[in-house]
Amino acid sequence: MPKNQFISPDEARKPGFVEFQPIPVNQYQKTVKEERENFSDDELKAIYHDMALIREFETMLNLIKTKGEYNGTAYNHPGPAHLSIGQESAAVGMAWTLTVDDFIFGSHRSHGEILAKGMSAIHQLSDDELTKIMDSFFDGLVVNIVKKDFNGTTKELARRFLVYGTLAEIFARETGFNKGLGGSMHAFFTPFGVYPNNAIVGGSGDIAVGAALYKKVNRKPGLVVANIGDASMACGPVWEGITFAAMDQFKHLWEGDMKGGLPVIINIMNNQYGMGGQTCGETMGYGIAARIGAGVNAEQMHAERVDGYNPLAVIDAYKRKRQVIEEKNGPVLLDVLTYRYSGHSPSDASSYRTKEEVEAWEAQDCIASFGKQLIDAGVAMQADLDSIWSDIKSLIYDMFLMSINDEISPVMKNPEIIADMMFSNGSVDSFSDAKPDVLQPLEENFRVKKIANKERFAFDSEGKPFSKMKQYQYRDALFEAIMDRFYKDASLVAYGEENRDWGGAFAVYGGMTEALPYHRLFNSPISEASIIGTAIGYAMCGGRVIPEIMYCDFLGRCGDEVFNQLPKWQAMSGNVLKIPVVVRVSVGSKYGAQHSQDWTSLVAQIPGIKVVFPVTPYDAKGLMNTALQGTDPVVFFESQRIYDIGEQFHKEGVPTGYYEIPFGEPDVKKEGKDITFLTIGHTLYPALEAAKILEEKYGMSAEVIDARGLVPFNYEKVIASVKKTGKIIVASDACTRGSFLNDMAATINSLCFDSLDAPVAVLGSRNWITPAYELEQAFFAQPSWFLDMIHERIQPLNGYISGENFTDNEMIRRAKHGI
Amino acid sequence: MPKQGQSVESCIVNELKKKQGDTVKKGDILFSYETDKASFEEESPVDGVVLACFFNEGDEVPVLENVMIIGEPGEDISALASPESPKTAQVETPKPTVETLPTISSQAHSRDAARHVFTQPTATGETKISPRAKNLATSQALDTTAISGTGPQGRIIERDVQAALQNRPKLTPLARKMVQEEDVQPQNSGTGLAGQAKSTDLAASQNAVYSVDYEDKKISNMRKLIAKSMHASLQNSAQLTHHLGADARRILELRKQAKVALDAGKISTNITLNDMVCSAVIKALKQFPNVNTHFLGDTIRYFNKVHLGLAVDTERGLMVPVIRNADDLSIIGLANQFKEVAAACRKGNVNPEILVAEAGTFTVSNLGNYGVEMFTPVVNLPQSAILGVNTIIPRPKDLGNGVYAFVPYIGLSLTYDHRSLDGGEATRFLKQIAIEIENFESFL
Repeated sequence: MPKNQFISPDEARKPGFVEFQPIPVNQYQKTVKEERENFSDDELKAIYHDMALIREFETMLNLIKTKGEYNGTAYNHPGPAHLSIGQESAAVGMAWTLTVDDFIFGSHRSHGEILAKGMSAIHQLSDDELTKIMDSFFDGLVVNIVKKDFNGTTKELARRFLVYGTLAEIFARETGFNKGLGGSMHAFFTPFGVYPNNAIVGGSGDIAVGAALYKKVNRKPGLVVANIGDASMACGPVWEGITFAAMDQFKHLWEGDMKGGLPVIINIMNNQYGMGGQTCGETMGYGIAARIGAGVNAEQMHAERVDGYNPLAVIDAYKRKRQVIEEKNGPVLLDVLTYRYSGHSPSDASSYRTKEEVEAWEAQDCIASFGKQLIDAGVAMQADLDSIWSDIKSLIYDMFLMSINDEISPVMKNPEIIADMMFSNGSVDSFSDAKPDVLQPLEENFRVKKIANKERFAFDSEGKPFSKMKQYQYRDALFEAIMDRFYKDASLVAYGEENRDWGGAFAVYGGMTEALPYHRLFNSPISEASIIGTAIGYAMCGGRVIPEIMYCDFLGRCGDEVFNQLPKWQAMSGNVLKIPVVVRVSVGSKYGAQHSQDWTSLVAQIPGIKVVFPVTPYDAKGLMNTALQGTDPVVFFESQRIYDIGEQFHKEGVPTGYYEIPFGEPDVKKEGKDITFLTIGHTLYPALEAAKILEEKYGMSAEVIDARGLVPFNYEKVIASVKKTGKIIVASDACTRGSFLNDMAATINSLCFDSLDAPVAVLGSRNWITPAYELEQAFFAQPSWFLDMIHERIQPLNGYISGENFTDNEMIRRAKHGI
Repeated sequence: MPKQGQSVESCIVNELKKKQGDTVKKGDILFSYETDKASFEEESPVDGVVLACFFNEGDEVPVLENVMIIGEPGEDISALASPESPKTAQVETPKPTVETLPTISSQAHSRDAARHVFTQPTATGETKISPRAKNLATSQALDTTAISGTGPQGRIIERDVQAALQNRPKLTPLARKMVQEEDVQPQNSGTGLAGQAKSTDLAASQNAVYSVDYEDKKISNMRKLIAKSMHASLQNSAQLTHHLGADARRILELRKQAKVALDAGKISTNITLNDMVCSAVIKALKQFPNVNTHFLGDTIRYFNKVHLGLAVDTERGLMVPVIRNADDLSIIGLANQFKEVAAACRKGNVNPEILVAEAGTFTVSNLGNYGVEMFTPVVNLPQSAILGVNTIIPRPKDLGNGVYAFVPYIGLSLTYDHRSLDGGEATRFLKQIAIEIENFESFL
């Protein structure tokens, strides 16, 4: 909370009323005739063309899904096709005025938006620009297919390119815009400003806001449109994205040219149904979706409902709203009314609406009525329109034939390359050419100065520990790595709850507030979905970002963002996108069941995220440097038990300069020969204590290996150790059931079977709620539990009496009871 | 299956001498069987053909159960067939390596103390060995069957193999290869460098230290009983032994006279030193009724008569037949009976009724013949005491008036249950035996 804003009780307690302004509904009612001076005849015909193109494109898909053929050519498309037949005017109106600098994000029903925005770009770009884009995309792979035996203009070629690239993508062809890895619900083409559509309802609601944040912070031209459905307004992440976009700080606290609202338009493609649920009258309560804007901020998000059946009304709205955005008064909410005749999907029997209703909307069909207006206004003759249609039909049929031709458009021949797309594995110093915005030279920062006086190794020459205050701590290591990157990469931003002023809940960011302007380090709303969702959008557009989740337990609050969005986009884009997001996640303790869980296993289970968990200052700095140099999404786990711990292993001390520790390399923290302990996270320290007892009392020497991370993971060192010792315990603070430890145990059992003197022992926490701090010793793996495990399952210790019960019968009993 | 004695409920078939289809004559041995303490042979009561045999060797068969059917070929035997065949009281005793523990039928839990059912497996089941231990043993050509594991649930783990390797000389590579390929093991320490075993040091397995030089054999029912009762005796009583010598000149003289008398045909029975000692014991017991007792926990059972047990060494193991009412017998009668039961024991057809500990009130165990100078016999519970008789050795004795001479003394070792008797009384009783020996009345 900033100190320069005073919350006055006198002001806050005054009586009064919240006042609202009327929200315009379908105020634009003009026809083609009335707008002729604002549009050329060619433009008006192009609007008609673009709508007709979408209509025919989706009609073709509908026929394939429902009849298995198009123009007599049979084809089976087993994948999804969520069509928007009837909504073409809304899509074209939305896209018409947008430039390639303006980005759109979509939903599962976005074929129309892709084509509309693509055509808009083609209309606006010069032949040279178009050629350059097409030739450079996948080294001309797509354009070379549509160029063959084609003699038309560059713009006509670009149209073939757009239709073919989209269709081949829908049909999962390697020649699609995303190598067939995105498909119908995720197709996009960034050179035309078409950013990812999203199969999760409302998925773009926060990601698009992050894209707008990127544009603002990095001073990039253009605005961002989130095309989401009317039903998605019920989704938490959408609301969180809107809340994030409307934060007061943009207008009140951000300084200089950064002052002002986010350039984002939440564009509700309001077809009035969420699958089969009627949003007006059944599943929502807003009546008119534009009403929502009034609840968000004083500007009411400049919300209005626009008649999306009239492309000119939507174009008009976008012209006006661009003004609002350029005046830094975003965000904007548009409720674009429309209607789809097609079902939610081809399996939809439309049982939730009457034939009369569909027919009534079809009677006012947006394309037919606009065509009639063109004729009425003398812009075109019926023959002109007919020729547009016949041209489109032959184009669509041609592109259809090409995209289903297995020779021209093969399905990925070697799906193994998907493996290469899971991570981009890049090494990038900075994602920006700009000079980083900072408030002071790094060396003048008080925290930097304070750290300079600290002992970078925990012990003195006689092995005695320095005082805690004197030790260079884990939190200092993170600070150093992150600050270094802040001063290297102008695109880097960090945010989360209490990141500024407070310095982060665990004081990692202490001193950063003084060094960095608001737009690089700020407090987010307490809404994890928006924290991660916006970070994804930020990264998609080309920026580096560190969102923070204060407690690991809050990961559930951004489940979709962490599980469905963050890990998927690099591969789903066919490696077009990079997602350099380093999510800092703090694993708690002492605070009971909802603040003390180690959920590393959940994250490690999802392909596409790198997962690290350093527990020493040396590792923390080195791994954070690696994370921030990379181009992949990283979930960076930290442990709240040890933010103040000094470096106990790296005798030379934590280097003051920059260094990287490669991901996936476990580290032998203590050598031994009789048994191996492989730990994830904080459990390293209890394991070391256990090793000490084992050595002193039982003459067994334990080798202790710190995994340092979960994904990727190189087993070679572990294998070498187990070959030596023949025995291993894998341990962490995560609940045992479903823990990543079991994955490691299975792998080690497989790889080291012949060397093992006992099965790999898994030592995790109990499958309970995390109890209060006072009871934690009954829940988390204790040093004595290592000995119990050895005695019971590996090699009985002379005269030892077990505390914990690790017998076969107990394992069976616990499993039987689900505990 | 004949019923051998009141307390016998079942017997074990030792050997089936005839099998189904064999022709037998009356008097042919059909099968042999044993009870807890004795073995018997069953003769065919009729001529005929063995039409059926319901049991296998080693089966425990309830008494009075049909073992075989003998008749004429083609005869209908369905009425005689055992309703559940084979109807064993218990499954077979386990083989050296069994995969499952023997299951025991409910009959096996009979309250009858005389029936001793074997319930523990002789082997620990499947041998568990860790992959690492196995690999090490294989690479070192070490036979792991003799190793007992110290890992969880008896698993052989690396340290067990290491320990076994410590006890075996290191092998030269050639020797190791030969061990892996042939059934040979190094013998004692090797003759190579630093004690390494060379190929010439190898021989077929026989060394006790590191190779299998034993064979696991099922123990007999009798061995089981002895083991159980001896172990129970030492576990469940408070026994200790007093040793005392008796001047043997008198009985040696009597023995000499008896021999002369026997040779001269004056008596028909060979009276041994043991007979005389037993007779002395009987006389002493009559004076110490507290010794002639059974200690039964809450009560002590006093006997009016002396039922004297005599330990007999047989091929089948120790047997203690009892002479009932021994105090009614003359020494000749006593000697005759001893000879009779001892012979029956050695032949294996003694009446089981007289073999149980409860049948006797006191036991004498004589190892004097073997030159044993002193031992601590184990009380045959619930009896209160047992006398061990030792060899005769010359000892100096003050004959009075400053005259010392070497005199033959017979050693007496009395083990008694201190729960039943106190040291003073035991000592006095032991002394009384000595007095009786030293003052033995002539029986000639």
